[in-house]
Amino acid sequence: MFKSIKSKFNNDADEKSALMKPEKKPPLGKMFWISVGWVCLNIFLAITANLLPLKDPIAQDYNAISVGPSLHYWLGTDDIGRDILSRIIFGSRISIAVSFGAMLIAFGLGAPTAMLAALRRGRFDNILTTIMYSLLAFPAIIATISVLSFWVPRNLVKVIIVIGIASTPLVYRVIRTASLAVASRDFVTAAKVQGATDRRILIKEILPNIMPILLSFLLIGIASVVAIEGALAFLGLSISPPTPSWGNMINEARTVMSSNPWLVIFPSLALCLFILSLNFIGDRLRNYFDVAEVKI
Amino acid sequence: MSNELLVVKNLHTTFATAGGDLPAVDNVSFTLGRDETLGIVGESGSGKTVLARTIMGLQARRNASVTGSVTINGIEVIGTSEEHKRQIWGTEVSMIFQDPMTSLNPVMRIGHQVDETLRLRLGMSKADAKQRAIELLGLVGIPSPEERYDVFPAELSGGMRQRVVIAIALACSPKLVLADEPTTGLDVTIQAQILNLLDELKEKLKMSVVLITHDLGVVATRTSRIIVMYAGRIVEIGTTQDIFKDHRMPYTRALLDSAPKVSNPSHTRLVTIAGRPPNLLALENGCAFAPRCTYATEKCHNERPVLEATGNDGHMFACWNPLTTRRGAV
Repeated sequence: MFKSIKSKFNNDADEKSALMKPEKKPPLGKMFWISVGWVCLNIFLAITANLLPLKDPIAQDYNAISVGPSLHYWLGTDDIGRDILSRIIFGSRISIAVSFGAMLIAFGLGAPTAMLAALRRGRFDNILTTIMYSLLAFPAIIATISVLSFWVPRNLVKVIIVIGIASTPLVYRVIRTASLAVASRDFVTAAKVQGATDRRILIKEILPNIMPILLSFLLIGIASVVAIEGALAFLGLSISPPTPSWGNMINEARTVMSSNPWLVIFPSLALCLFILSLNFIGDRLRNYFDVAEVKI
Repeated sequence: MSNELLVVKNLHTTFATAGGDLPAVDNVSFTLGRDETLGIVGESGSGKTVLARTIMGLQARRNASVTGSVTINGIEVIGTSEEHKRQIWGTEVSMIFQDPMTSLNPVMRIGHQVDETLRLRLGMSKADAKQRAIELLGLVGIPSPEERYDVFPAELSGGMRQRVVIAIALACSPKLVLADEPTTGLDVTIQAQILNLLDELKEKLKMSVVLITHDLGVVATRTSRIIVMYAGRIVEIGTTQDIFKDHRMPYTRALLDSAPKVSNPSHTRLVTIAGRPPNLLALENGCAFAPRCTYATEKCHNERPVLEATGNDGHMFACWNPLTTRRGAV
């Protein structure tokens, strides 16, 4: 008994010692990895679509018009005899390219300027923030629709550019707010008085500290662009048919929804699951990266 | 090169606020020699931290305007570009911040935070910098520094973190270190360790230290000279001996009296200074301390006293009605 008290005492002393053992982080969970797997599968299929033994997504089979799922056509065919599975996989290329491309533009433009504005403050910050916030006041979806209606002929690059620029103010606002909280902390000043340049402070001090927010917002942003592209395609403002995209597949299938519901269900399911997975990953990562600062 | 490492001349830092101009640092002049430790004491809001930041050349806020001159090792700081200041930051002058909980980057390993400066400013190779960083961590008393090199700040206690902060500040062997209340966030035993460490390092590395604190006990044994600040102005400046034993300004007396003493019997009420620090936006013409001063006369309320030298070399105070009696032992 005496011994146990002693060891208890020692344990207390250990806990008070200078080095604290880091706590174990909670696991990310099964759903997180399923979501990651699903997103990776989608990206893999989109990249290798040409190499896969898929049917031509544009070729029509007049012997199989509007057939349901079967061994030959796994997800069935549409009203002009095109393979749905193949169209969904080829269509994911558009969704993925647009969402990643647009977010690349939005973060490429928004994030560095936002971080710099948060660090420098002053006139640079005032002007840029005023501009960005004014743009935010204007509904991005309306801006996107009007620009895309006039900028013809539409192609992938134009869609990416328009959605990317339209999303920039939102990215700017989120990143600036996150960076402001970091930039006012003592360690940024401490780095500064050790002679670190602004560029170094941005990369070494601010970026790593906003990384969790940046990463989860990036994933959620990608998910919402997938949805936006779907909406634009549904309105006929994205890639022109016959090139498949999830949005225009749903749009085309709308007219035959009552006779052949598969045509709407499968692309919608692909769209939903992809967005859901991205959102889920983003959400879990944000929880996971919740950096402990004081653990005493 | 003069013998003075730091020369501060007629320094003013004024914040333009909605309520008018706020003089946070008001006409401050002093010098600091090489290998000297200077204490700056004063209540909260007396302008100590703003003074330290102004000396560093850090603009505390957007609305601050700074006039006067600060030279560190002969190099002017005030009114120069960031580019210029970057040349002296780290190598000539460095700063230790108040709160070790926030002055380390939480997502960077502590070793990297130390050697980053070394590589950046001294152009060391990766391996050399790591070697030196481990040496520095050992120097500031971190046990088994090789292992601690790779830990994150959250894995260290407050005292250990402050040691890391000191290691970073001293990495490029600056000639002057400004320590802005370096022990405020720490408990008393750790405070003493950190202060002794600073003292030791000062001797070892031949540097000057400006120790800013509100705790007179902290400066009593570690400084050669002390500045007492009140409402952004220097009210008394002198050797530690002068300030503790032969002070003339009633505020200094009041500050000393309000420190708890071990010799007090238990349950003694602490002596306090009546009233509260003045509103810097609505300063009267007279001495800023006059409303709280038991010795105040008509003149004190109407005319601002200037810093005057006493017979004692270097001992100056700003008071119309100075104390004449020497104070007993602390």
